[in-house]
Amino acid sequence: MMPETTDVETINRRRMNVVLGVAVLLASSPILISYFVLIASSFTNQMITGGIMGQLIFTLQNWVLFFEGKLTVTAASVLSFWNILHYILNTFIVAFGVMIVVTVLATLAGYACSRMRFKGRKFLIQLLILLHAFPGVSLIIAVYALYIFSKQPLPQNLWTFYAFLYVIVARAALEVPMDVWIMKGFFDKVPWEVEWSALIDGASRIKVWKDIILPLVKPGIAAIAIFSFMAGWGALIYVMVFLPATEKTLATYIAGLLAGGSLEVVHLPIVAAAGTFYLIPTLAFFTFVRRYMLQTSLSGIKG
Amino acid sequence: MVSVRLEKVTKRFGKVVAINNVSLEIEDGKLYVLLGPSGGGKTTTLYLIAGIYKPTSGRVYFDEKDVTDLTPAERNVGLVFQNYALYPHMKVYDNIAFPLRLRKEPKSKIDSKVHEVAKFLRIENLLDRYPHQLSGGQQQRVALARALVKEPSVLLLDEPLSNLDALLRVYIRAELKRMQQDLGITSVYVTHDQSEALAIADKIVVINKGVVQQEGTPEQIYENPRNVFVATFIGNPPMNIVKGSVLEDGTIETTGSRLTPPAAMAEKIRKLGLKTILMAFRPENAVVSEHPMEGKFSPLGELFEVEPLGRDAVVTVTVGEFVIKVVMPTKEAMKLRIGSKVYVNIDPNTIKYFDPNTELNLEYIEA
Amino acid sequence: MNLKKKLILLFFLGPMLFVVILFYVIPLFLSIYISFTPMTDWNVNRYLTQFIGLANYYRLIHIMMYDPDMRAVIITTVVFTSVTLAINVLGGLLLALATYFMDERLSVPYQGLWLLPRMTPIAVYALLWYYFFHSSGIGLLNTILMRLHLISHPIAWGLDPRYLPWGAWFIIIFINGLVGVSYGMIIFYAAFKSIPKELIVAARVDGASTFRIIRHILLPLTRWHFTFITVWQLFSLLTSFAQTYLLVAWRVVDSTWGQPWALYVFRTAFTTTKDQGLAAAASTFLSAIGIVLGIVALKVLRYKEMILEPKGDI
Repeated sequence: MMPETTDVETINRRRMNVVLGVAVLLASSPILISYFVLIASSFTNQMITGGIMGQLIFTLQNWVLFFEGKLTVTAASVLSFWNILHYILNTFIVAFGVMIVVTVLATLAGYACSRMRFKGRKFLIQLLILLHAFPGVSLIIAVYALYIFSKQPLPQNLWTFYAFLYVIVARAALEVPMDVWIMKGFFDKVPWEVEWSALIDGASRIKVWKDIILPLVKPGIAAIAIFSFMAGWGALIYVMVFLPATEKTLATYIAGLLAGGSLEVVHLPIVAAAGTFYLIPTLAFFTFVRRYMLQTSLSGIKG
Repeated sequence: MVSVRLEKVTKRFGKVVAINNVSLEIEDGKLYVLLGPSGGGKTTTLYLIAGIYKPTSGRVYFDEKDVTDLTPAERNVGLVFQNYALYPHMKVYDNIAFPLRLRKEPKSKIDSKVHEVAKFLRIENLLDRYPHQLSGGQQQRVALARALVKEPSVLLLDEPLSNLDALLRVYIRAELKRMQQDLGITSVYVTHDQSEALAIADKIVVINKGVVQQEGTPEQIYENPRNVFVATFIGNPPMNIVKGSVLEDGTIETTGSRLTPPAAMAEKIRKLGLKTILMAFRPENAVVSEHPMEGKFSPLGELFEVEPLGRDAVVTVTVGEFVIKVVMPTKEAMKLRIGSKVYVNIDPNTIKYFDPNTELNLEYIEA
Repeated sequence: MNLKKKLILLFFLGPMLFVVILFYVIPLFLSIYISFTPMTDWNVNRYLTQFIGLANYYRLIHIMMYDPDMRAVIITTVVFTSVTLAINVLGGLLLALATYFMDERLSVPYQGLWLLPRMTPIAVYALLWYYFFHSSGIGLLNTILMRLHLISHPIAWGLDPRYLPWGAWFIIIFINGLVGVSYGMIIFYAAFKSIPKELIVAARVDGASTFRIIRHILLPLTRWHFTFITVWQLFSLLTSFAQTYLLVAWRVVDSTWGQPWALYVFRTAFTTTKDQGLAAAASTFLSAIGIVLGIVALKVLRYKEMILEPKGDI
C-alpha cells in the first residue's frame, strides 16, 4: 500500500514546504490584503488604509447603518430598513429559484443522457458542451427582446412576478448545460447492476431514478446545488437587465451605490459591510452542503 | 418452474459477436452451469435469458411461451449479480421487500414472505442492518433472498461465489446446491471455475468464444470431452495433450514410442485419412516410474519437478517437446530423482483421440 | 420506440430541452434576425418587422475601420484575451504544481484562498478592486505605495491618459486573471493527483530532481488537460464581462480602453446608444467565433470518444 505522501524522504520536505509556502503566500498577497481590508473595514470607522492606522476604532456602526439603509453617517436615510430587507429577500428568491430550476432540470436530463438510449444522444451531449461555452452575451439581446415581447399580453400587476420568473429561468438556463454534464458524470458511476436489479424486480424507470439512483448521487446533487445557488446569488447582469429598478438584489444595490465613482457621497465602510454581508450566505451554504458531498456510502456494491 | 429454451440466438455488440447461433435447452427444475473462460459469452447468455440483453437474432422461450420481447420483470426472473448490487441506502428488510412492494402486495403478506425467505437463508437477525454492515457471505444471502422472495420462474446466478474467500466458497456452494434441490427451481449458474461446475451441476454447458463447446452431465464432460478445449479446460491439472504421427500400419508414433490404438479407433483414423493425431489422457490415469510397466503405453522422458500436495503429488515430466503432468501417490513420487530419465506409464484404455484439424474427439465424429 | 418509452424520455429530457430551446436556440436565431432590423430603444413592436438587410453589418465594418474607439475595442479584446489566457493557463499550472508538492495541510488553505475570487459574488469582487485601484488617495494601492514612498501623488491607474492603455489593460487583466487562475489550478491539481504515486516514488528513488519529475512525468501525462483548459478559458474570456462592466461603470477603468468586444456588445445594446440592431450584428460576430471555436475544441479534445454508451437493452 502506498503511503499518502507524494514523495519519498529523498528530498528535504521541510525546505520545500517553506519555499513553496512563502512563494504562494507572496503571490496571493493581493487577495489576502484586499479581502482582509474589506471585511475588517466593515468593522471600523474608516476604510483601513495604512496611513491612519492609529486612528481606527472598532465599531459596529457600519452594519447598523447598512441595515437601516443609510449611506452616510449623518444624512437622513434614502432607504429604510425594510428596503434593505426587501433587497436581501430578493437575492434569496433569485438564488433559490435558480438553484431549484437547475437542480431539477439537470438531475432529470443527466440521468437520461447517462442511462437511456435515444436517437441523437451523442449529438445532444456534445451540444451541451458547446452551449456552455457559448457567449451568453450574444444571446442576452434576443432573450431580453423575447421578454419584452412576451410580457405585453400579461396584465400589468403580474409584470413583477413575471420578471422574477423570467430572470430565474433565464439565469438558470446558463448553468443547465454544464450541470447536466456534471450529473451525467455522477450517474455514470453508479453500477449498472443496481439499476438492473431494480428493473428486474419490476420498477419503472421513473421509480428507479427516484428511489434507487438519486440517493446514490447525492454528492453530485449537492455540488450542482451549490454552484447554481452561487450563480443565482451573485447574478448581476441578468438581474440588472430584467428586474425593474424598484426590485434590486444586493448585487445591483451595491453596484448602484458606487455608480459614477461616488466615493464622496457614500461612506465606504458601510459599503464594505454590505459586501461582507453578501459574502456570508455563500460561505455558509457551502459549508453546510459540503457535508453531503463527503457522504458517499456505496457499499453493498462490491468490486 | 419453467424450462428455458434458446433457439438459434446470436448477440452482436457492434461488430463483435458475443454469442454465435446458440441453441440451448435448460430443463425444468434442474441446475445448469454455464462454464467457460472470461469473455467467452457465458454472462452474455445469462443476461439474454434474463432479458437484460435482447438477441440480435433468435428467440427465447420459457416453456412454450416466447419471451424474447418481454422485459425481465415480465419474465419473472430472479438474478443474483456477482457484486450483489444491493440497494446501499436501504436496510436489508427493505432490500428484500422491494420487489414485493413494487407488486403492491399487502403489507402483512410482504412481511411474512420476507421473514420466511430470511429464515430459510438464515439471515433473519440481519434484517435491520444496512448492506455495508454485512460481510460478503451475508450480502450474498441477502441478494439471494431478494431474488427468491418473488418466487421467480427461473433463478439466475452470475459467479455468485467469486467474491468469497476459498474456504467459504466450498461451504456455500454445497448450500446453494441443496437449496436449489429443496426448492426445485430452474437455475442457471455462471462460473469460470471448473471444479465448482463439476461439484454442483446437474448439467454443464461449456461455452467459449460465443459457441457451445459441449453440453452434458459432469461425468460426461469429465470422462468424454467433446473437443480439445473442453479436455484442457476441465480437470486440475487438465488433460495432457500429445501429438503423434500415424504410420502406414496404423500404429501411432510419438517421441520415440509406439502405440497401437484400439481397433475401432484405428478404423476411424484410417477412414478419415489422418496423418497426425492428438492423444489426450488424464494425469491420474498415468504413473511415473524408472522402468516401463507392462500393458501400458510408456514414452520416455526426463523428470522436471515433483510437487507434493498431501496425499497425492503432481509430477511434471518433459517428454520430447511435451510437458506432461501426472498425479500419483506422494510416497512413490518422492522416490524419483529430478533430472533422471523416467517413464510415463499411461493406461491405454483411457486415452482419447482427437482430430488435429477440427480438434474434435474422434468418438464424436461419425465415420 | 414505443409510446411508453417516448413518454418516459419526455419526462426526463423535456424540461431541459424546453429551457435550452427557449433560451439558447431561439435567441440565437432571433439575435441574428435582430441584426437585420434597425431596432433601437427596445422598441420591439415597431422595429421587429422592419428588415434592412445587411445595413447593420456595413455600419459595423465601417465603424471597425474608421472609428478609433472601435479600434480600441478590437485591440483591447485581442490583448485582454491573449494575455489573460496565458496567465490563466500558466498561472493555474504553477499553482497546481506548487500545491501538489506541498504538504496536504498547506495545500488546502492555499487552494481555498485562490478559490475565493471565483466564489465571491461579482459585485463584491469588483468592489474589492474598486477600492484597491481607486484613483484618489483613498485607493489601497495608492496608499501602500505612498507609504512606502514609491510615489508622491495618487495615480489614476485605470483612467490617467498618460498610462492608457496599459493602466486600464493591467487592471482588467489582473482582476480577471485572479478569477481565471483557480480553474486551471483545480483541474491540473486533480490531473496530477490521478497519476499513480508509484511513478513519482520510482523516479525519486532513481534520483530525479523535482524539475525533472515535472518535465518528464507530470507535464507529458496532462497534455489533454492542458488543451482542455486553454480552450475552455478562451471561451470564458471571450464571453465574460461583468466585472469589467462594473469597473467601467464605477469609473475606475477608462471606458474606451477597458472595453473588450463582449462588453461593447452589452453597452451598445443596453446603456450607451441602445442600438440593438448594431449590437446584435456585433454579437452575431461573437457567436460565430464561439461556434467555430466550439466545434474545433470538440474535435481537438476528442470529446466524442469520451462519451460512454449505455449498457443493456432495457
